[in-house]
Amino acid sequence: MSTHFKSSSARFSTAVGAVSVAALLLAGCSSAEPQDGQSGQTPVSGGELVYASGDAEPTCLDPHVGGNYPQALVSTQYLEPLVSLNSDGEIIPWLATSWEEAEDGLSWTITVRDDVKFTDGTPLNAEAVKANIEHLKDPETASSTGFLALAKVKSTEIVSEDTIRLNLSQPDSALLESLSQPWLAIESPAALERPKEENCEAPVGTGPFIVDEWVKQNSITLVRNEDYNSPPADAAHEGPAYLESITWRFIPDSASRYAALQSGEVDVIDNAQPDTIASAEKNEDIEHLDAPRPGASNRIELNSSKAPFNDPLVREAFIHSANVDAGISSLFFDAAERSHSALSSVEELGYADPELFTYDPEEANRLLDEAGWDKRDSKGYRVKDGQQLSLEFPVSTNQSIPAEVSLFEQIQATAKEVGFKIDLNLLDLSSWYGALAENNYDLVSAPYTKVGPDVLRILYHSDGIVPAPSGYFANLSQVDNAELDKLLTQASQETDPDQRAALYEDAQKLILEGYYVLPLYDQQNHFLYRSSVEGLRALPTVSTPTFYDVWLNR
Amino acid sequence: MSMMSKVRRRIPGRTSQAHRKVTVPEMLAGAVVLFLVAAVAFPAALAPFDPLAINPADGFQGPSLEHWFGTDESGRDIYSRVIFGARPSLLIGAVATAIGIGLALVLGSLAGLGGKALDFGVGRLLEVLFALPGLLLALVFIAIAGPGVVTSTVAVGLSTAPGYARIIRGQIIQVRGSGMVEAAVVLGRTRWQIVRRHLLPNALSPVFVIATLGLGQAVVWASSLSFLGLGEPPPAAEWGAMLAAGRTYLTTAWWMTFFPGLFIVFTAAASTVLGRGLQRRMVR
Repeated sequence: MSTHFKSSSARFSTAVGAVSVAALLLAGCSSAEPQDGQSGQTPVSGGELVYASGDAEPTCLDPHVGGNYPQALVSTQYLEPLVSLNSDGEIIPWLATSWEEAEDGLSWTITVRDDVKFTDGTPLNAEAVKANIEHLKDPETASSTGFLALAKVKSTEIVSEDTIRLNLSQPDSALLESLSQPWLAIESPAALERPKEENCEAPVGTGPFIVDEWVKQNSITLVRNEDYNSPPADAAHEGPAYLESITWRFIPDSASRYAALQSGEVDVIDNAQPDTIASAEKNEDIEHLDAPRPGASNRIELNSSKAPFNDPLVREAFIHSANVDAGISSLFFDAAERSHSALSSVEELGYADPELFTYDPEEANRLLDEAGWDKRDSKGYRVKDGQQLSLEFPVSTNQSIPAEVSLFEQIQATAKEVGFKIDLNLLDLSSWYGALAENNYDLVSAPYTKVGPDVLRILYHSDGIVPAPSGYFANLSQVDNAELDKLLTQASQETDPDQRAALYEDAQKLILEGYYVLPLYDQQNHFLYRSSVEGLRALPTVSTPTFYDVWLNR
Repeated sequence: MSMMSKVRRRIPGRTSQAHRKVTVPEMLAGAVVLFLVAAVAFPAALAPFDPLAINPADGFQGPSLEHWFGTDESGRDIYSRVIFGARPSLLIGAVATAIGIGLALVLGSLAGLGGKALDFGVGRLLEVLFALPGLLLALVFIAIAGPGVVTSTVAVGLSTAPGYARIIRGQIIQVRGSGMVEAAVVLGRTRWQIVRRHLLPNALSPVFVIATLGLGQAVVWASSLSFLGLGEPPPAAEWGAMLAAGRTYLTTAWWMTFFPGLFIVFTAAASTVLGRGLQRRMVR
C-alpha cells in the first residue's frame, strides 16, 4: 500500500496540489478494500495509468515502419485505422464511414469522416488517406506488414474531398481486413512529411491519446487528446478518453513486471507468463484478459529451402519426433491449448488435422532410415555422407516467452532421441532477423498477426520468399509450390464466402500435409490488470488493448 | 602444491609463517573445493539422474527425497544439473583465469623488462583498461566477437588481465633490483637464464595466490555472462544459465534459482577463503 502511494505521489509531485494528493491517498486506500458490483458504475474522468510492456521496445513509434506487434500495442492508443471489426468479426466504421467494392473487384471507393482532425490540426480527408497509402508503399519507409497488406493496391484516386478510390491489380477479398489493422493506421500527412527519424519519435494521428515524450529504454508518455471525436463504432462512450495520461513502461523481466503489478506500481501488464497467470488467478486485486491474436498460430516453421529439410521425409520425421503436448500442459499451466492448424483458433476458416502431428518416435526413426540417414555417430546423432543431422534453431528471446523456450528445449530433447541435433541459439531481435536474412536457420518460430485467413498468402505464397523493403520475408518455411500459390491467389480474390472457405481449406491441407509447419498453440496474448482498472478491452482486430474507454475506479 | 613449495624455497624468511594452523573456514573451504573437484571429474558418480533427461509431467517439483534440489520446468533433476554444471562453470572460470594470467605475463614482462618506453606504453594501456569496469570490458568483447562459450571465456580472461599484469610488472621490477639478480649478473648468467631462473618464478608466486582469489571472481563473471544468455546455449547445465532459466519462476519455484546460486556462492567463498589463507602464509 505504501509503495503504491509513494510512487503515485512521486509521479504527480510537480503537477498537482495538496487536494489531489489527498484524493490520491484516499483513492489509494480504497483500492485495498474488496470491491464488488463495479460494472454499472459511472466512469470517472482523470488520473494516470501505468502500463508495463514485456514486449520489445519499438525502434520506431510509427507502425508503418517495419510493422510489428510491439508497435501495434502502443500505436493503438494514438493512431486509428479506417475500419475496425466488431466482436462477430464484421467490418465496422472507424475513420471511414462507408466503402464499396466495384463490380469487377478491381477498385474500392472509401469515404472518410469529414469532421475529424489530426492532433496537429491537419484535417482528415481523402488527400490524407492517399498520403498514407503512398507512405506505406514507399520503399524508403521500409514497411513490412503494411506493405504486404497493400500489395494489390496499384494506385489511388481522389474522388472528392472525403472520398478516395483504390485501384487494385487483382480483386482483394482481404482488403478491408487488412485496412483494419493498426499497421495501416492513418497518420497526419503533414507529420509524414517530416524526416523519418522525427516521425518515428512522435507520430501524429487522430487517436484518443498523443505521444508526448519517449525516453528510450524507459517509457513513453501519452497524454489525452482533448479534441478527440473519432471512436470506432463499437466503443462504449464518445468524446475524449477518461484517462488524463498513460505512462507506457518497458519491463522486460516477467517476474519484475508482475511484482510491479502486485505492488500497484503499474496498473496493466502485457505478456503475462503462464506461471504468473496461474498465481494471479488467486489474487483478488488482479484481473486477467485473455485475447488470442488472429492470423497464424504459434508454430515452428521448417526451412524447406535447404538440406536436410528439403527432403519431405526428414520434415515428417522431425514432426513425429517432437513431443509437444506434454510440454504444453505442464509449462503453460493449462492456459494454452495445443493447435493443429496453421491458423489461430480465432480464425473461422482455420483447418486442423491432429493426425498429422502425433508424437511417434518409431515412425520418425523409420522415416529417417528411409531418407538415408540410417547411421548414427558416437553421440547418437544421425549421419549421412559424413554430414551430421543437425538443425539450426535461432530463437528470438523478445518474441518467444521463457515457457516457449523451455518447450523448444523439450522438443530438442525428444528430437535427440530420434537422432536430430538441434542447436538452440537464443538471440536478441536484431541478431535473430540477421540469422533469418542469411538463411541461417532450419527451424524458426515467428509469430505473424494479421486479420483474416489472408495471412496464409503472406506466409506461404512463394512471393513471400522475396524480402519486403524492411528486409523481412514472411515465408520462413520457404514453401515454393505452384499449386499452393494458385490456391492462395484465387482465395484472396474470391468474394463468394463458400468458395473462399473451400480454397483456403485446400491450401491449408497442402501446407500441413507437406510438413512445413509444426503448430504449437495460439499466439498467447494475456494481459493482467488491477481490478481498479475499468473498461479495458482488446480490439477485435489484432487484439491490442485500447485505453479509450478505460477509467480508474480508485 | 609442488610449484608453491619450490617457490617458497627460493625466498628466505617465509618458513616461520608456513606452519600456521589451518582454520575451520579453511577446512570447510577445502571440503567444498574437494567436492567441486569430484563433481568436475566424476559428475556421473555424484548425480543420480541424467542432467538433460526431460520429464514434463514432473516439472516444478519442490525439493524432495527423490529430487533433493527439486526439478525444473522440464522435470529435470536440479541436483544432477548442478553437479554436471560444475564442469562447464568452473572450467570457464579456470580457463579464463589462465588466459588472464598468460596475457598478464606477456604485458607485465614487457613493461618490467622492456625498457622505459615499453613500460610507459603498457602502463598507459593498463590504465585505460582499468578505467573500464571488468565486466563491461567482457561485454564489449562479446559484442564484437559474438556470444558463445569460447568468447565468454576469453572475454572474462581479457577483463581480468590488467589486474594481474600490474602485479607482475611490480614484482618483476622488485626482483630485478634484488641481490640475487645482481649476483647472477656478476656470475655471468645470460639474460634469458636470469629471467627464467630468478625473475619469473619469484614474480609469479604472489600471482598464484591472487589467482586463487580471482578464480572465484571469474566463475561469478562467467555465470553472469551465461545469465545474460551469452554463454552456453540450452540445454546445457551451467549455473548461470540455470539461474537465468529459474528467474522467471522465482516466485513459484524458488529452488530453480536458489541451488545453482548457492553453488556459485560456495565456489566464490571457498576460493576466497583459500586464497586469503595462501596469501597470509606465502606473501611477505
